[in-house]
Parts: sequence; C-alpha cells; structure tokens
Amino acid sequence: MNTPRYVKVDLTGGRVEDFPISEAYFRRYIGGKCLGARLLLDLMPKGTDALAPESVIIINTGPLTGTGAPSTSRFNMSFKNVLTGGVASSNCGGQFGAMLRRAGYEGIILTGRAPSPVTVEICDGQVKLLDARELWGMDTEQVQQALPRHYGKLFIGPAGENLVRYAGALSGERIAGRCGGGAVLGSKNVKALIAYGTKRPEVARPERFSAFVQKWVRFIRSHPMTGDSLPRYGSAGLVNKANASHALPTHNFKYGHFDRADAVSGETLAETELTRNSGCVSCPIRCERRVKVYGKEVKGPEYETLGFFGPNIDADDLPKALELNYLADLLGMDTISLASSIAFAMELKERGMADFGVEFGRVDDLPDVVKKIARREGIYSDLANGTKWLSEKYGGQEFAMNSKGLEMASYEPRRSVGMGLGYATSNRGGCHLNGGYVPLLESVGVLQMDAQTPAAKAELAVFMQNALEAVSSAGCCLFSAQTFIPAIFFKLGPNHIVTRITGRVLSLAGPPVRLMLALSDLLRFNTKYILPHAKALGLATGLKMDTGRFLRLGERSFNLERLFNLREGLTGKDDALPGRLTETPQVEGRPDTVVPLAKMLPRYYRVRGWSADGVPRAKKLRRLGIEAS
Amino acid sequence: MAHRITEACTGCTACAVLCPVFAITGERGALHRVNEARCVDCGVCGRACPKGAVLDQKGAPCAAVRRPVWPKPVIDAGRCSACSVCVDECTKEALAISLPRFRGDLRVFAQLAAPEKCVGCGLCERACPLGAIAMEVPT
Repeated sequence: MNTPRYVKVDLTGGRVEDFPISEAYFRRYIGGKCLGARLLLDLMPKGTDALAPESVIIINTGPLTGTGAPSTSRFNMSFKNVLTGGVASSNCGGQFGAMLRRAGYEGIILTGRAPSPVTVEICDGQVKLLDARELWGMDTEQVQQALPRHYGKLFIGPAGENLVRYAGALSGERIAGRCGGGAVLGSKNVKALIAYGTKRPEVARPERFSAFVQKWVRFIRSHPMTGDSLPRYGSAGLVNKANASHALPTHNFKYGHFDRADAVSGETLAETELTRNSGCVSCPIRCERRVKVYGKEVKGPEYETLGFFGPNIDADDLPKALELNYLADLLGMDTISLASSIAFAMELKERGMADFGVEFGRVDDLPDVVKKIARREGIYSDLANGTKWLSEKYGGQEFAMNSKGLEMASYEPRRSVGMGLGYATSNRGGCHLNGGYVPLLESVGVLQMDAQTPAAKAELAVFMQNALEAVSSAGCCLFSAQTFIPAIFFKLGPNHIVTRITGRVLSLAGPPVRLMLALSDLLRFNTKYILPHAKALGLATGLKMDTGRFLRLGERSFNLERLFNLREGLTGKDDALPGRLTETPQVEGRPDTVVPLAKMLPRYYRVRGWSADGVPRAKKLRRLGIEAS
Repeated sequence: MAHRITEACTGCTACAVLCPVFAITGERGALHRVNEARCVDCGVCGRACPKGAVLDQKGAPCAAVRRPVWPKPVIDAGRCSACSVCVDECTKEALAISLPRFRGDLRVFAQLAAPEKCVGCGLCERACPLGAIAMEVPT
C-alpha cells in the first residue's frame, strides 16, 4: 500500500526530514483535514500560542487531490486557530495542492520560525529554503509575478506579514482565508511555498477510477445546482434567496432582510459586472466570477463577501463590493472576518462606544480602511484583531458576531436555526461549512424546511457536518456535495407542492437520520446520488470505502477536532452564540425568531455521543478508533 | 526510464527550450542533460534534436521530425467540461478555455488557442480526466 509521503521542515534550523505516515494512520485518517487534525494533536505541544515559533502548521492534500476527479484541486491547511485558540483547518483551491503531490509529497509540516523571510521550495521530492527578503512586503499579485511561472504557489500578502489575525494564504486567486493561516505563515517568516514536479498521483484502480470520474462529471454537469445555478450565478446567487427568507444578515446581523439587496445579488452581478465564469483546475462546476476592477479582470466575490460588503453594512454599491473583495485578496485577508469586524466597528460607532471613522451605509472610504487594517496602522490595528478581541476591549459582546472568536458567515441564524446550532458547535468557530451548512435545507436551498423549529436540526447538523468533513478529507471541494439534493426538486421548483411537502417533512427527519447515523456501518453501498466521493476515494486508495465508512471518516474527523479544542481549553461553554441571536427576536413581537440554542444543544450532544457538557465519551472514541494522544 | 542525451549533443538548446517540463539543462555549446526524476517521456526532445542525440526510454535513438507534422491536440468540445486540467498542464500556454459567445453563455470548452506554441508533448491528452483530447498529426 502506498502511504502518503509527508515532509517536516524545522524553519528555525533549516532541517528537513521525511515524516512517514503509518499505514494504520492512513487507513483511519485518510488525509486532508482529518489527518491534519490527528497530526496537530500529535505534534503541537499543548497550550502553544498560535503564532509562537513552536506552533505547527500542516499543509496537506487528500487522496483525490490532483487525480482528475471533479473539484479536486483542493489542499488543506491545519493549524492552531489564531482567532479562537482552537483547531483550524482552511481549505483552498488553486494549483498548489495538485503540484505538491506532483512534487512528490502529500503533505508538508512546518514548525519553528525562520530567522529571515524564506520561500519553501518543494521540487521533485527535494525541499529547500530560499531567501525571500526581496518578496517581503509585496502584495499577492506582485509576489505571484516574482515567483517562477509554472510552479504551484501558496503565499501570503502584507496582512499575513503584519499578523492580521484573519490573514489568509493564497494559491493563484483562491484563498485559504479563514482562521488566520496567513498570520501563522507570517509568524514563521514564510512568505511563500512553491512546488513543482511531474509525478502524477497514482490511483489504485486506474481504469475503474477513470470510468467513474467520467460518470461523476456527467452527473455534476447535468444537475441543476452544479450544472446551471452555480456556474451561472456563483455562490452569489444566494443573496436573493437568503433575503427572501429573511436570512440575509443586515446592519451587523440586526435584521435579516435588506430592501436593496437585489443591487448586490448574483443575478445583478451576472447582468452587469460579470465578464465570464471560471473555475479551479479540475472543476466542472466553474462557480468563480470574473469581474473588472481597476480595469483588470480579477476574481469576483462569493456570496458571503457580497452579503457582508452589502446588506450587513447597509450598502448596495456593487462595484465597491467588488473593489473591496479585490483589495482583501490583494492584501491577503479573509473577507468574512474583515467585513464582520468593520460592521462591528460601525455598530460601535452608532452606539457611541468607539469611533473608527466607519459608518453604516458609507462605503467610499472603506478601501482606505481595508488597506490600513492590512498595514495595522494606528487604531486600525485593533480592527485587525477580529470582533472577539474588539468586544473585549470596547464592549458589545452581544453584537460581536462570532462564535468562539471566529466571525460568522453571511447566514442569519435566527431564520435558519440549524445554522445557529452549526455556528455554535463548529470546531473552528462561526463557520457555515464546518457548521454543517444546514441553511441549504432551511433558507437558501430549494427545499424549505421550517427554519424556526429546533426539530431535526441537531440530527441534520451532525449528518451534514460529518459528510462535509469527509468530503474535505478526501480532497474534494464541498460544492461537489451539493448534488445530494435530488435534481427533481429543482425541476419542479421551490413552490411546487411536492417540493414544499418534502421540505415540511424534513422537520420529521430527526429520528430516521439519528438511526442512520447510529447504524452507518450498515450503509455498505455506494451511489453517485448521495456521496460519490466515497466510491472515488475507494478506487483511488484501494481501501474499502462505502457511504457508511465515509460518514464515519467525517465523524472521526469532527471528534478529533473537538478533542484538540478541548485540550486547548475550549469547552462546551464555548458552544455559544452572541446574545443578539439567542435573546433578541429578529422580528419584534415574534419570539420564535431567535435561535433556541439551549433546546438544540443537549440534543446535539446526545446525537454525537458526547457527555452533557460536550465531551466525546470514551465509548464513542473507541468506536471511531481514535487513540487518546 | 527517462529519455537520455548522448555525447553527440552539440548544445544547440533546441530540446531545452521545448521541453514542456523543464527537465533539460545545459549551457549553450555544451552537453545537455535530462533530469530523470522529472522527464515524462513525451519525446519532444527527440523529435527536435537535429543531431539524433536523444535516446528514448527504451534506449533507442529518436528520429527527428519536422515541426509542422508534430501531433496536435484535437479536443472533443462536446465531451470537454472546461475543467482546465489541460490548460494548467500546458506550460507552453497553447491551450485556453474558450470565451463565452454571449453574456451568460455557459457552454465553454478547452481549445488550441495558440497552435504555434504547441510542441505536441501530449501531456494534455494524458491529463484529461474525460478522455476528450486526442493527439493527431495535422494533415
């Protein structure tokens, strides 16, 4: 069996050594974020500061990365979350992941701190540290031009160098934005990693794999979500849907509906600013937007960015939102945490608690503010620390829209309470994806289950969290999992009686989903309709893989991350939401428009097999094959 | 096994310039070498060498071929999903995804946008996950 080849680089002394992954580890943890979480637990000394030299960052791929399977240009970065102090995994497209594998490695582990800026070069199985003093200070476009042309590149911008706590790392124009991975690389004096090689990733059963990939790609292209909606409108197509169901955060999450939201919607973007759609390498979905900013064609915004540089700051200026998105990429920052910090500063100003010179509805000076945050200039250095830090200094915890310290994405949980549960329980903090992305069933998808009821939300959140964890660990983009909602509902439309009844019935899905989770070992089948990734993973690795084992992999990953959080001092008490979401109804006079977290959380813990204070029970861990570290 | 260069090499750099994976190095006028770890046996160097100084992976000398009859990719647009794997693979930048014909056009596909840059290495054909590319000698 070919086990993954990892290499460990001690940046302090410049020592490079191969880091073998045992077959037992490979079989159990596969790769990507699951293996990343395991290695973090093993290698990171307890209580290490995220930005200390001893902290460890693992940049790895999954077995499907770069194999030609759809949407598999992804790589994963696992590190200690700069914003929460818990686990972080950040997933990104671009060329780096596939190139890392071609260069002969499935993963690279960085530790220590280089004495001066370096570029880590991984070339034909050799790792070298190159001087990068000349690259230091460059923005992400300049640094790409300065690095060798056909290499896979992963690099940080000025924000990462200046340790902005939500700085990301970029590959091409894609960004591993969340959790501050850019700051971790910056703290290690690593400006870039570059990879080149020509070793194609081997798959265990090449012919069957290739035949399955062709079938899978046809399925993705024929599905209304991945074959039409996402290519046409990108994720930005969700703005109008979320707005219609009052789940579009407006005025720093005070409201869930914005009258002028259509001005920043995916549809308007497609009609006005969009030049074409594009995509990551190997992806047939092609959800990327191409737009013109400053006369150049650049990557356009995602839904979260439009929502946050639009309704959440009371703005409806699409060109400005595109510009801010571009600037955040250019300087290397996560747009979600950046925009949420700005919205929080606006509310502080509105309430007279602090003045950062930003106001709701005023966007003209925001490009300047963004640049100052990236440079950590003057008081703007505070904004570079995120909403949790800001609320500890200036007050306003009840409207600092983060969970555990990581800012929430642009889904209003009071009209999508499953998302509220997801934000609270997500291991990396207020993350919609790690949180299970339940709004797909509640407020932004074609099926509209009752968004206010806590019924079935715990079970669905657990199921979807596990599924998404597994998809990530395999090396695929999460969007490739969007095909699990049957195409027929899109054809009938959201208002058709069958679609509506199915949506309603989902509220009753709790017990069956729980049963399915408990008995996943019996799900010994593969189908392209639910999680085609399982079969592809089996064919690529030669391991026995089916839907049940695949879901178990996700569950193992989620529990491992939880163990890391617990070890670092994040407990069940941190599975919380700001007071605005749990206490203040979104609509006055409608007490049901809050997140009933206290009702959902105990049920969630039970479904997960955790104790009442949110600690995985020994029995559960044994069942998942997780050894205590 | 990889391609190799024999002592007959005069260091004209033709192969080094064309190699799609940058596997050949050497000073002008001096013997060139193939980096075996990187060579993908595409045969471009052998076709280009005017001195017959390249041995293929089996150790047989490669025959020179005139550039106009080097194979070129032919792309089945119906099968292509525009996933860009081939475009990314092509270090010669001969391939590109077609531009939409009208606003909102989603039917785009890979095409040989700059045939003069193509060296006929066939890496795109090998990489295409959908088998939509065939290398054919232009007639």
